[in-house]
Amino acid sequence: MIKEINIKFIFLSLSLLLIILIFFFPFFWIITSSFKSPEEIIATSTTIIPRSFTLEHYNKILFNSDFFIYLKNSLIVSFSSMIISIFLSVSAAYGLHKLKFYGNKFVEYSLLVTYAFPGVILLIPIYLLFAKVNLLNSYFALIIVNVLFATPFAVWMLKAFFKLIPNEIEEAAYIDGASRYVVISRIIVPLAAPGIASIAIFCFIISWTEYLFASILISGDDLKTLPVGLAGIVGQYQIDWGFLLSGAVLASLPVILLFVFIGKYFVSGLTEGAVK
Amino acid sequence: MKKNNIEGWLFVSPLVIWISLIILVPIYIAFELSLFNVKIIGTSGKFVGIDNYIKLLGKSKFLNASLNSLYWIIGNAICQTFFAFTIALTINYKFPGKKIMANWIILSFIIPTVVVVVIWKLMLSSSSGVINSVLIDIGLLDEATGFFSSPNKAFISLVLINSWRWSPFLALIILSGLNSINREMYDASKVDGANFIQQFFFITFPNLKSVLFVLGLVGTLLSFNIFDIIWLITKGGPSSATTTLPLLIYETAFTKFRISQAATLSIITSFLLLLFSIIFIQSMAPKEDD
Repeated sequence: MIKEINIKFIFLSLSLLLIILIFFFPFFWIITSSFKSPEEIIATSTTIIPRSFTLEHYNKILFNSDFFIYLKNSLIVSFSSMIISIFLSVSAAYGLHKLKFYGNKFVEYSLLVTYAFPGVILLIPIYLLFAKVNLLNSYFALIIVNVLFATPFAVWMLKAFFKLIPNEIEEAAYIDGASRYVVISRIIVPLAAPGIASIAIFCFIISWTEYLFASILISGDDLKTLPVGLAGIVGQYQIDWGFLLSGAVLASLPVILLFVFIGKYFVSGLTEGAVK
Repeated sequence: MKKNNIEGWLFVSPLVIWISLIILVPIYIAFELSLFNVKIIGTSGKFVGIDNYIKLLGKSKFLNASLNSLYWIIGNAICQTFFAFTIALTINYKFPGKKIMANWIILSFIIPTVVVVVIWKLMLSSSSGVINSVLIDIGLLDEATGFFSSPNKAFISLVLINSWRWSPFLALIILSGLNSINREMYDASKVDGANFIQQFFFITFPNLKSVLFVLGLVGTLLSFNIFDIIWLITKGGPSSATTTLPLLIYETAFTKFRISQAATLSIITSFLLLLFSIIFIQSMAPKEDD
């Protein structure tokens, strides 16, 4: 018994150390580096504790670049994609898991199989299609694809939450004369709120991080999103590291802020929704 | 519960229509393109039938990219399974700071891929990267190495970077499976004298079936699809060592301007992935008792 507790303890401490080093240290590193002087960032002898402190990179990116335009575009695209995704996936999940119809298993699996037609494969034909219907260079072009990539998994995530809602509650409401609309808006949605919060943040993340389509479907500078703007700096021959790092930190900030507020729903939604 | 056909379809139809339009119409366009020889987007080409397919299947580039994609999927599956299970099993224990860690472990997944690229380009830089200087300090390396300079190193580095991004997310999903396992099974097995390694293989693992099914399917498809991390770091190099099928398609269409060839590649790739999905679902789908 004592031996087993020791093994567990060693296993736990080792893996905790490993996890912190691998998954958290890199964030410490780029955040501190973004405040270092340009010389210190590219110095061959790296310093774990920063020696210099400067705000020049942030100054440059905030007041001397298109950062705010990209930020605005990213926010518009991500929020719109998120809202549309929520409506479509809640409705679909309700149909799939609460109503049960002929062919529901087929629809459920087909949704997951949509990931068999991913990104690059659809890129060229979608480009041609959008060119034909005049959707290139518009927010809507990006929203359409983001919804496509976010919803299949979102519907799967909602499954666990919808299954936790007892059918009796709904049936009781119908006996009392409630309409389908009332049942959904007053019973289903409130009870599945943590699940809806988790898919909301999932859809937001998918849209916020999307790079490939945003780089091809949008060519106008005034409509570019943050990832595309940042990638433009990565691709330069002489990388201005300070500029790039402060941009990377700022581009991550909005999702991190969102996560501060509803992140716990996302995590508990994922982990406690319990796929039974 | 009784079946509710019309209403059920009514509720799923907005999403189903949205998704099918955005997938089926493009696939049809791609198929049409693959029968012509269009080069630059927007121009027209002449009808060549299945010529593109015949030419493509014999090309060494296609074979190379397919093999790279296969190694990519396998490498990522191994690394991500290892990392994700380590994280999930660790967070499943009680320790101080567990809540914070469970909430924030997913940081690498919520930041834009481009930021992931920035982080690792800096950390793995050959001239000033922290990883190089640490490895030299502890004596594992004599001099700084370029992590993206040789084919093998570049490939392995990319697999690790991509796993770094995805593992925490997968870990949380595995954790959801772990939470649904009946605690009593562990207690009962303890009485029978099982140690925690045996518990993992005889209780934990088998009970994760439905979660692992979805992760196996969606995870493989998503891994296959990774484009931006590879493109932004190595552009498929050095000497095509990291050119997976998605990169080959992109390159063919947007740097070589062979739209029809790229469309042909897309159709073949979709077919292979669809085949994989069908076989996977047929053989692995968990039986549900509802």
